[in-house]
Amino acid sequence: MEPTEHRSAVGQLADDLRWLEDHCRRQPDLAAHAGTLRLASALTRNVIGPFLEGQPARPLHVAVVGGAGAGKSTVVNFLAGSVVAEANPQAGFTRHPTAFLPNGPAFQWPTYIGFMGPLNKLSGEKPASADEDVYQVKRVPPAKDGAADPLADFVVWDCPDMTTWASLVYVNRLLEVAALADVVVYVASDERYNDEVPTQFLHILVKAGKAVVVVLTKVRESNAQALIEHFRREILGRLPKLPDGTAPAVPVIAFPQMPQSERTDPSGAGARHRVNLLNQILMLVESDAALRTRTVANAAKFLTTAGDGLLDVARRDLAEFDAWKTAVLAGKADFEERYRKEFLSGEQFHRFDRYRDALMEQLELPGAGRALGNVIWVLRSPYRWSRDYIGGLLVRPAVANQPEAHVLSASLTGWLDRLQAEALRRSGTHAVWKQIAVRFDTELGPQARERFAQECRNFELKETDELDRAGKRMLDNLEQRPALLYTLRGGKLAVDLAAVATIVVTTWPPGWYLLLIPVAVSATHQATELAVRATAETARAKVRHQREDLVATVLTTPLAAWLAEWPATGGSSIEKLQQVLRRVPEMIRQMEARVQAKAAEWAAKPAEATPPGAAQG
Amino acid sequence: MTPTAPAAEPQPLLRTLAPLLRGLERQVRAWLDARRRYPLTMLQRAELEGLADDLRRQAEALDVDKPLLTIMLMGGTGVGKSTLLNALAGAPIAQAAFTRPTTRDPVVYFHHSVRSDRLDPALRVCRLAQHDRPGLEQKVIVDTPDLDSNDLGNRDKLKALLPMADIVLYVGSQEKYHDKLGWDLFKEQRQRRAFAFVLNKWDRCVTGESGLRPDEDLLRDLKDEGFGTPLLFRTTAQLWVDSAAQSGQWPPPTPPDLPEGEQFTLLRNWLELGLTRLEIEAVKARGVGQLLASVARVVDGLRPPDLSAEAEKVRDAWRQTLAAEAVVQGGELVGTLEPYQTEVEHHFSIEDQQRYRGLMSAYLRFTTKMRYSRSGLRDRIPFAGRLLPGAKVETPVEWNLGEFVQQCARTAGERVLDQRTTALVNRLLVEADQRGFPLALLSEPTGSVGRMDWRDRTTRAVIDALSEVEREATNPTGARRAVRGTLTALANTLPELALVVTAGTLLFNFIVQQLPPSVFEMSLVGLVPLVVIVSLHLLIVMLLPIRWPAIRERFRSKLADRVGEELDRAYLAVPTDIAAAIREERRSVDTLLAETKVVSDFLAERQQAAQVGELYGT
Repeated sequence: MEPTEHRSAVGQLADDLRWLEDHCRRQPDLAAHAGTLRLASALTRNVIGPFLEGQPARPLHVAVVGGAGAGKSTVVNFLAGSVVAEANPQAGFTRHPTAFLPNGPAFQWPTYIGFMGPLNKLSGEKPASADEDVYQVKRVPPAKDGAADPLADFVVWDCPDMTTWASLVYVNRLLEVAALADVVVYVASDERYNDEVPTQFLHILVKAGKAVVVVLTKVRESNAQALIEHFRREILGRLPKLPDGTAPAVPVIAFPQMPQSERTDPSGAGARHRVNLLNQILMLVESDAALRTRTVANAAKFLTTAGDGLLDVARRDLAEFDAWKTAVLAGKADFEERYRKEFLSGEQFHRFDRYRDALMEQLELPGAGRALGNVIWVLRSPYRWSRDYIGGLLVRPAVANQPEAHVLSASLTGWLDRLQAEALRRSGTHAVWKQIAVRFDTELGPQARERFAQECRNFELKETDELDRAGKRMLDNLEQRPALLYTLRGGKLAVDLAAVATIVVTTWPPGWYLLLIPVAVSATHQATELAVRATAETARAKVRHQREDLVATVLTTPLAAWLAEWPATGGSSIEKLQQVLRRVPEMIRQMEARVQAKAAEWAAKPAEATPPGAAQG
Repeated sequence: MTPTAPAAEPQPLLRTLAPLLRGLERQVRAWLDARRRYPLTMLQRAELEGLADDLRRQAEALDVDKPLLTIMLMGGTGVGKSTLLNALAGAPIAQAAFTRPTTRDPVVYFHHSVRSDRLDPALRVCRLAQHDRPGLEQKVIVDTPDLDSNDLGNRDKLKALLPMADIVLYVGSQEKYHDKLGWDLFKEQRQRRAFAFVLNKWDRCVTGESGLRPDEDLLRDLKDEGFGTPLLFRTTAQLWVDSAAQSGQWPPPTPPDLPEGEQFTLLRNWLELGLTRLEIEAVKARGVGQLLASVARVVDGLRPPDLSAEAEKVRDAWRQTLAAEAVVQGGELVGTLEPYQTEVEHHFSIEDQQRYRGLMSAYLRFTTKMRYSRSGLRDRIPFAGRLLPGAKVETPVEWNLGEFVQQCARTAGERVLDQRTTALVNRLLVEADQRGFPLALLSEPTGSVGRMDWRDRTTRAVIDALSEVEREATNPTGARRAVRGTLTALANTLPELALVVTAGTLLFNFIVQQLPPSVFEMSLVGLVPLVVIVSLHLLIVMLLPIRWPAIRERFRSKLADRVGEELDRAYLAVPTDIAAAIREERRSVDTLLAETKVVSDFLAERQQAAQVGELYGT
């Protein structure tokens, strides 16, 4: 796999997770997920990215975290072996992380795009209380006695706290470093060790699979052992399982309340505490590569778990989105019903009468036979008049119908109003509805009408076309079968002639009985007419049906599809959410596979990955 | 205790406040129970109910001779609340240990002269510890569980106790004085109670390291919160507890290794001597004042907006929409009458004939019957309805106006009007929203208007419109009236006159002139009146036509008017009614506010100036 490809995938995943995090922060009931997502994106950027790109395992990172005033800076000093961090009685003094590089041969500082996310590296020096999105890097001075630094492979991070009221602003800086770390030193004082906020943080660290060492500070020496036991039972006993399903093994050591002489001289007067602490850390490190591989593998597993939780984050949004779709479909059903009742039920398709007449005409004889037909037509005149009169008496005028265009536009207005009213009613309940309501008058409404107008033109063309096609089909049925046509024509003529002949023969000699002739030809004609009418009515009913389908396929279905998806377009949060939900699980899966492949690669050549003499107690 | 305190004259103020507070509580509860349109959020309701509880509690606490001052210790786990109480008591009354959290059950420390049933019910269930120290006679000190440990139940216990506190002693340590959980709770409560501050474990604050000292940091933050000169005590309670335990004396001797600036004695003196009866009453009174201010603030926030102007705007907009809708609905209703046009014409002709008498009347009855025979014919053919298109609508067999019209309204309803009504409601809601009327208030009432039985109303509108058109047709005005009067007069006289004249002429010829009439002349007796009648009929048909197209147009406009009236009556009242109801609710809020102000003013007039200002921020 090419590094650039890794890089863009990692960048994309980190960005998506960041977006999800912001999304959660905007919704009060999801705020609890924000921290997890932040850690997930930080792990992607700071751990998985550099690993996939083939950056070396060195340096390993140790982060010192804990509540305000718990003694983080003191612990940092003990790790570094000299007073490097400003310990300050002011709670919440440290506001941005500081990295302490070991004194020794310089190693490559991770150079990775997106490393440490929004935090910039400070070029100069600033006090630890500078409240900015930065981190600074300092170098540990050489040991006074020139002894080798046991943590020569480690960068030690001094972090801000997570308990003071100001920490809301800077807790993200802490998460960034915690994600980066291979080993986390969790500092808890005798006051703090059972506090809720730090304990939750510890839980997150364990879930992310970090190797954790707990330092209990300010403990009375006499209580130390009892306190450690208490801590194991109360706090460690309730830790979540590691990503690989095992219970976490967390070593605990106690730092007593030290006099100033010990506190300010970690490698001298306070050396026994320091050795204790270093031993615990170094015990976790088999080799650089192994520890880093573990960090990365656990990070990937954490991502998988976080990815499984993504649906929780989106559930509410997607539910509201579904409610919108349901509203759109209900509106569609309404629209179709209105069209059916207000227009179609009363529509007679008078245009269709032309085809009925043409069909009737087809049954007449062409050419010379026409003269004969005309004669019979004249004979039938009295019948025609009486038929029209009686028809006029019997047939009621139809219910006056509204024009189709009116019905369509009124139904569309009804549909849109329904959606808008629904969006307005619900706009207080969720951001999805609010977005719809806000953009309805300016965007959704006009756009929907425009689309509808276009579809309508298409629909009008198609409906005329369809009507004509149905009529022509009726005519073509006969025209394409000359045998049938001529049989029918001939049959009709034969029946007419036979009737005339029968009357002439039976009433011979001719007298006023010949008046029966028009009656007879009228009767035959009436029979034909009824047959033709029945055919035409069947075709008409079919046209009515087709019209209903046509409205559904040409007008309402495309518009409903567009309306239903509208909240997920135009850069809205739903659109982004859908994209992210599609992309993130897939990318996490890829990421895990890549991490496994790379880890196998590292395991195959341990000699290269671990420089000689890196870890020693 | 200061020697002057018992000599102070009796203070009736606090006791007189009690009934006022009870009265106010009743009013608040009544207001909460009242039905209202403008919705109250769960949060607002809970807040106001909490305030009502506080009013009752205060009333009960004040309705005694010597009111008790409740001082509550509040802080994170391990900051030394229990140690502080033990140091103050000089004995291990509250459990203090290195395991966190230590205190799970609150401890109430009070004078033995106070009967435990005088304590607030919430305090009676705590662990009670009595003492006999005269300086703390009127004071109850409560040690509370923590607010930040993993045991979340402790936090709930603390929050349940806090309303009992008159003074909260905010206990912080070097580690925790800045913690978010405690600080948030302080900010939430500071408007309601007095606050004093303790920075315990003072020895850990003075380490000699560089940087801002915690007490200075805390003072700075308190200043930002409006506490310019807060009472802050720097203590190391553990040393005093140890000293008391070692010496077994009271008061314990000052511990030898006390860090510089330690102020535990100051705290003890303040509690025992500084808080005299005068101060207690002032704190109590100020507590009531703060409570009343909270009530006023919360109630003020509950005042609904004035919607009168919006309601007017909505009304105007709706009027136009409803007028347009009425036109469409009128057209629809007339459309359903279309199949019955013959019957309608028939009906009008019969009505019109009532004016004629004699020969003309008989003739018209005959011709009308002939002309409209077809509708009867149609009903007598059994299968006509099925065979003929357009005859699907059932024909009313007899001319029964009510039934006929109901039929039309039903047809129209089924075809068009039901859906239009739903659509109309949505349209109206959207328009109301565009004019700034809150939809939450309007949605339900408008919807219920839409769900009313509109068919009844439509039927009524059609009947009214029909009779109106009929009245107009049969009682025309202006020129038509004159024309019709003349024609009627002529029609009622001329045929008879013609008959009499013709017959008279024949008789005269026969009797006087002895001319026997021929057959033709005999037939003239019938023909001449007939000619007269037919010509008159032609005149009537030409001058006063009763044709469907003319009736239809008149009918349509009348129907539109009538439907419009019905729609206006049903819908237009909705926004103004709501606005009026909301105005009423505003007024009730104002009344409640005024009541609160009466009590606060009463309190303000009588409040004593005691030195307690530093316990409150600005």
